[in-house]
Amino acid sequence: MEFRIRAYRFNPEADKKPYYKEYTVEDFPGMTVLNALMKVKAESDGTLSFRRSCRSAICGSCAMKINGITKLACKTQVGPEIDKFGIINVEPLANMPVIRDLIVDQENFFNKIKEIKPYLLGQREDEAYEAFHVLQEGEKINQPLYYKSEFQNLTGNNDTPNCILCECCYSECGGVVGNPKYLGPAALAKLYRYSEDPRDNDRNGSRLVNGSKPEGIWDCVHCQSCEEFCPKGISPVKSIVKLHEKAVKNSITFSAGSKHVVSIAKSIGETGRLDEIKVAFESGGITGLISDLPVAFGAGLKGKIPPLRHKLIKDMEDIRLAYKELDLEDKL
Amino acid sequence: MITYAYYPGCVAQESGKELDNSVKFIANKLGVNLIPMPEASCCGGGVIDGFDKNLKLFINGRTLALAEKEGLDILTICNTCTLTLSEVNEELINNPRSLEKTNGYLAKIGLRYSGKVKVKHILYAVRDDIGFDKLKEKAVKSLKGLNIAPFYGCHILRPSSVVKFDDVENPRGFEELIKALGGEPVSYARRINCCGFQTILVNEATSTSLAGNAIYEAQQKNADVMVTPCPLCHLSLDTYQTVAAKSINQKLSLPILHLPQLIGIALGGDYAEMGFSRHNISLRSVMAKIRQNEI
Repeated sequence: MEFRIRAYRFNPEADKKPYYKEYTVEDFPGMTVLNALMKVKAESDGTLSFRRSCRSAICGSCAMKINGITKLACKTQVGPEIDKFGIINVEPLANMPVIRDLIVDQENFFNKIKEIKPYLLGQREDEAYEAFHVLQEGEKINQPLYYKSEFQNLTGNNDTPNCILCECCYSECGGVVGNPKYLGPAALAKLYRYSEDPRDNDRNGSRLVNGSKPEGIWDCVHCQSCEEFCPKGISPVKSIVKLHEKAVKNSITFSAGSKHVVSIAKSIGETGRLDEIKVAFESGGITGLISDLPVAFGAGLKGKIPPLRHKLIKDMEDIRLAYKELDLEDKL
Repeated sequence: MITYAYYPGCVAQESGKELDNSVKFIANKLGVNLIPMPEASCCGGGVIDGFDKNLKLFINGRTLALAEKEGLDILTICNTCTLTLSEVNEELINNPRSLEKTNGYLAKIGLRYSGKVKVKHILYAVRDDIGFDKLKEKAVKSLKGLNIAPFYGCHILRPSSVVKFDDVENPRGFEELIKALGGEPVSYARRINCCGFQTILVNEATSTSLAGNAIYEAQQKNADVMVTPCPLCHLSLDTYQTVAAKSINQKLSLPILHLPQLIGIALGGDYAEMGFSRHNISLRSVMAKIRQNEI
């Protein structure tokens, strides 16, 4: 079967603006999009540029937009894409500047990974003897010892360390679209992985405090795209939510995002409902309220004013009991 | 007669009452029985697990158990309520420890959950339970010639391991519904993107630029109106549209309808009944276009 590939082309040194070029390719059973691109490069157009290496979904080089969704070209078969879309449309990753054709500049992405300190901080005192030193003659290397349960706690879920840094999540992230400075799902999932590591010596909670600053964990828009489109089955958004919970439990609640979450929990604990006005006030404070005034005024003119006092839901004592059972009353 | 336990969520009962009213109107026209759930609490707005994961299980487990007691499935009209209830449902069905813990709490309030309830969003309840044929049969007003941009939002599509209504990469349910009503679905890429609502009170610029991008693209594709199945998306897209325009530095003026309002109009509801006056962006152009079909 012959099919069409429509590829995004852009060489900033020669082209004034990006354009698309179509190629016709003959497929073979099980052909991947990467196979097809390599065939185009070998047989029709040697100038088509893209990253690739392992062809086994482990190096993360060949991530690109395929028919609008970010995927690994080596893990995506041509057949189902053609069945669904009738064409293979390939474009570079979103949220990153294009260097040439399907190759993007990854510098920002990796700077964000570096920003969360993707290494173990300090040393545990009881492991001081394991400090790096030149081995004496006859001295054995001390291997750190983990109990199985502790090792599972390393990540909270068993998959976060499987990240191959392919940038699929980053390309699909709604938060990065809205704010290019937002750290993004891959870096924040790593932040979670290190904050849970029993070997990490983060005594003053610096990971959670730094993560709670603007452009950090509270800027996640919960669009679920990172989980949906991760080719390795990782859920960065779930890691981010666990960081939220960890921050709130440790009373690191200086950010608007944490105030927002606590306020919603408080509202439900009081009436069983979400009090829109109170949550808006408690999340943004006075400045937030003032900046929202024109919006609130406009909505008010249309009669969209939520009630100032909320009726309790029926059997409200059930909800109060849930808070009591979970020992959450003091957090409200 | 199809009967659901009706879970409208908080916004549709407060600032978005026009949504609740439209749902009740179309349920009546389509012969669907909605049983109110006065005991049901807020689902937690999609962020409650950032406060306490078990609290999310307990309060939503309670809502599921209330529906199970009546032997009914839950009908939702908000994407975020749909995802939250579905997530908790999946967790309780697949994780015996979570179920045991939640049932421990539920026992104290005279309830029990065994995992029998299905959570259905109204878009897919219309497609799967009521059927487009019935919709066509009951429609009295044609939406012919109206270019309608469907805005799915996130939480009825993703994660597809939990909300399994449609093809997450290329969903068709919304377009099929628009076609069933005689409208013309507008094809645009951002129909499956995020409206940004979850951070609207945290980082307004980030949040509103997402809504702005989607509206701008739909406008460029000559949409007459954008329709959303979620009241939270509606707040971002309609109530905050002027802010969104500033965020992306573009002129935006696209009317935004709740999905049940669109269905309601086709089923013969009048504009006042559907709450057309309660929108920030005027719906006059939409009404004029529909009127053309009547002449």
